[in-house]
Amino acid sequence: MTGREALPHYVESTRLQHFVNYEVVGKSALRVQRWRDQWKLATRRPRPDSPLSPPLRCVAYMKEIMSRHYLEGRYAAGVRKVAWVTSGAPTEPLQALGYFLVYPENHAALCGVRRKAQSIAEEAEHAGWSRDICSYARTDIGSMLSGKTPAGRLPRPDVLVCCTNICQTVLHWYRVLADYFGCPLVLIDTPFLFHEAHEHEVAYVKRQIEDMICVAEEIAGKSLHEKRFQDVMANARRGAELWLEILNRSQHRPAPMTAFDGFIHMGPIVDMRGEAVVVAYYERMLAELDERIDRGIGAIKNERYRVLWDNLPIWFKIGDLSKWLAERGVNVVASTYTYAWGELAPMIDPDHPLDSMARVYLHPILNRSTGHKLESMKRMVDEFELDGVILHSDRSCKPYSLGQIDQRDRLVKKLGVPALLLEADHNDPRDYAEEQGSNRLEAFVETMEARA
Amino acid sequence: MSTVAGHAPSFPSRREVIEHVRALGREVVAVMPIHYPRAMLRAHRLHPIEIWGPPRVPRVEGSRHFQAYTCDIVVKATSFVRSGGIAGTKAILVPHTCDALQGMASVLGDFLHPEQRVLTLYLPRGRRTSDRDFLREELQRLGAKLSEVSGHQPSRADWMEAFEAEDAADAALADLYRRRERLAVSDRHFYQVIRAREYLTAEQFCEAATAVPEGNRPRTGVGLMISGIVAEPLELFDQIEALGAHIVGDDLACGFRRVYSTSMRNDPFERSASRLLKGPPDPTCGTPVRDRIEALQTRMRALGARGLLVYDPKFCEPELFDVPLLRKHLHEAGFPVLHVEFEMGETLPHQTLSRIEAFVETLS
Ligand code: SF4
Ligand code: SF4
Repeated sequence: MTGREALPHYVESTRLQHFVNYEVVGKSALRVQRWRDQWKLATRRPRPDSPLSPPLRCVAYMKEIMSRHYLEGRYAAGVRKVAWVTSGAPTEPLQALGYFLVYPENHAALCGVRRKAQSIAEEAEHAGWSRDICSYARTDIGSMLSGKTPAGRLPRPDVLVCCTNICQTVLHWYRVLADYFGCPLVLIDTPFLFHEAHEHEVAYVKRQIEDMICVAEEIAGKSLHEKRFQDVMANARRGAELWLEILNRSQHRPAPMTAFDGFIHMGPIVDMRGEAVVVAYYERMLAELDERIDRGIGAIKNERYRVLWDNLPIWFKIGDLSKWLAERGVNVVASTYTYAWGELAPMIDPDHPLDSMARVYLHPILNRSTGHKLESMKRMVDEFELDGVILHSDRSCKPYSLGQIDQRDRLVKKLGVPALLLEADHNDPRDYAEEQGSNRLEAFVETMEARA
Repeated sequence: MSTVAGHAPSFPSRREVIEHVRALGREVVAVMPIHYPRAMLRAHRLHPIEIWGPPRVPRVEGSRHFQAYTCDIVVKATSFVRSGGIAGTKAILVPHTCDALQGMASVLGDFLHPEQRVLTLYLPRGRRTSDRDFLREELQRLGAKLSEVSGHQPSRADWMEAFEAEDAADAALADLYRRRERLAVSDRHFYQVIRAREYLTAEQFCEAATAVPEGNRPRTGVGLMISGIVAEPLELFDQIEALGAHIVGDDLACGFRRVYSTSMRNDPFERSASRLLKGPPDPTCGTPVRDRIEALQTRMRALGARGLLVYDPKFCEPELFDVPLLRKHLHEAGFPVLHVEFEMGETLPHQTLSRIEAFVETLS
């Protein structure tokens, strides 16, 4: 491309829209919104009747970052190449190539938090997708078919990148997306690790990442710049390290944040890892947590029991559950789910990006055995000095949930830790029986009380 | 072995097969669905007997380990394993077919510790060179485990003998499908033979396949294609015939999806990998939906099918994702689709029958 005259008219107009609506107006409006949020947070009177401490101040920044990301998405098509990627996909090369990344799972979670998931999922169900498939997939397929989204608009993908390190479901789901959008689907197939990774498994993943880079370069019309790639990797590592530090701060008593906070604050590490803004944000968050620790402020006012959450959150219930538990002195201080984006930080090596990526992306907790997950839970029970474990038996997420019955059994019988299997779904309110759930949680709290 | 037209075929029982293979110096390995390298097992002096449920086994014991939203194949197989159903076998091989079987393999190995070795095999979801190369090495890894199980390291001659026998059985299976129109047997009989591949030796299967009589057995009514994982109970075929329809072909995981193309590569692992990657479209192998639809359309036209019956065990995600697109595209091509989900049992629920009946009526 030698001059701007060469650009077709529609490209000019999308660039203009991107510039005006996102770069100029959007970013400024979101900054103003953040100032207002900060002001509100700073001037809000503490509510003596609330069992929760006031929210972290940094939440205003997180809202700005995430909103900016989704806002840019509205105007990204035609300006930046767009890749839709699974949450465990090796995205660093795509970041370095300037792709705008859409995480359908995160988008579905957003729909869940805003309590829009059911009505959007029903669009997919009306089109024939069964209620027995993952509710993230149903939510996004429903959004794709109907255009309904709380994010305004999602840009069409130029490429889909599907990595099976979280489940096989994503491959079935992305095949549906590929059929609908008619765009290339890049598969990064990651053999499930029943034991330690074998070299041929690492080599296989590495080779696929290399192939992905070739496809991504071709679509982007440019080559991957090595230095830029290493910078992204360095940011990814630093972001993941900070995230891990943040989560580990909850080893303090009282814990300065809850796992429910973690579910919300994980947005940047999932959606934007590799970007400098993520590092800056988590530095800010860590500093605020340290300040809380210094001042002895806990995320809940009366922390009596410390609990681990296993599996995805129940997005549509996060606020209610967090308050309900806090009222009973229960702080959910850790979760296997949020840990997944931090625990592999030490494996990321910016000097050997491809080798380390191959290893990192093979090792998420969801790509490892049920026994490994139990060991992780045991370790967390120990390190976080936990009094109990809630295992969310997530109807939608079989890879995370199968194995929980035996894991719970071992936690109770071998470790003597009260553990509850809570039947629900991460995004579909129809699969959560309110009364039954409360009764079971009530009994769980009583068990911890009896042991205290 | 009786193969009189219209009568049920009679094969050696599983127990008889086990005794037979033991007499040949082979040990038995229980195998979960769907794809695995048969010749490799044979070369290692092992004989596979597959577990698809079984339908008659209750879910109760398996339900102590898997949630209610887990498919019957996994839950019932776990019940079966826990109740001593695979006693006397040396190992259980769980190919990585889906998230549910992944969970089963992991729970077996990590928590239930059956007396058999739990072996796994990761099947790549692509058909690229990288997938073939990976699968070759993955099979090599499995081969080492099989040697540990059987105590036998296959010689070149073992490999040749195993490929020859299993290729012949694969060819016999493909030939059965090719000859279906000319075979003078009911659909139930036909599928009993097809599914006997799940436990017979290669030679026994070839014999059973060639014994299926040809002749004039006019097939009346509407021709249907059946798709899904496994058609249970076999009574389904009788009922379909009673409703005035018949099965012209299938896209079943326990059936046509295992009609592999033979590979002639020299390296035994490469040859096994190549065979596994050369099967018909299968969502559990990551086949793009369009490829599956095109293959179905072509076969349905060629076989004279009027509609597609998709018959799936409940909670089978790999199948469920494809259904709306199968329905849409096949409908546009003039082939109505009925999707039925079933709970594995020994009888066919009335409601299922009524739905199939209504479907057949609309096609008549
Ligand atoms: S099945 Fe589980 S891991 Fe897979 S997309 Fe759904 S929620 Fe995520
Ligand atoms: S029925 Fe479906 S979900 Fe169950 S084991 Fe078979 S492929 Fe997997």
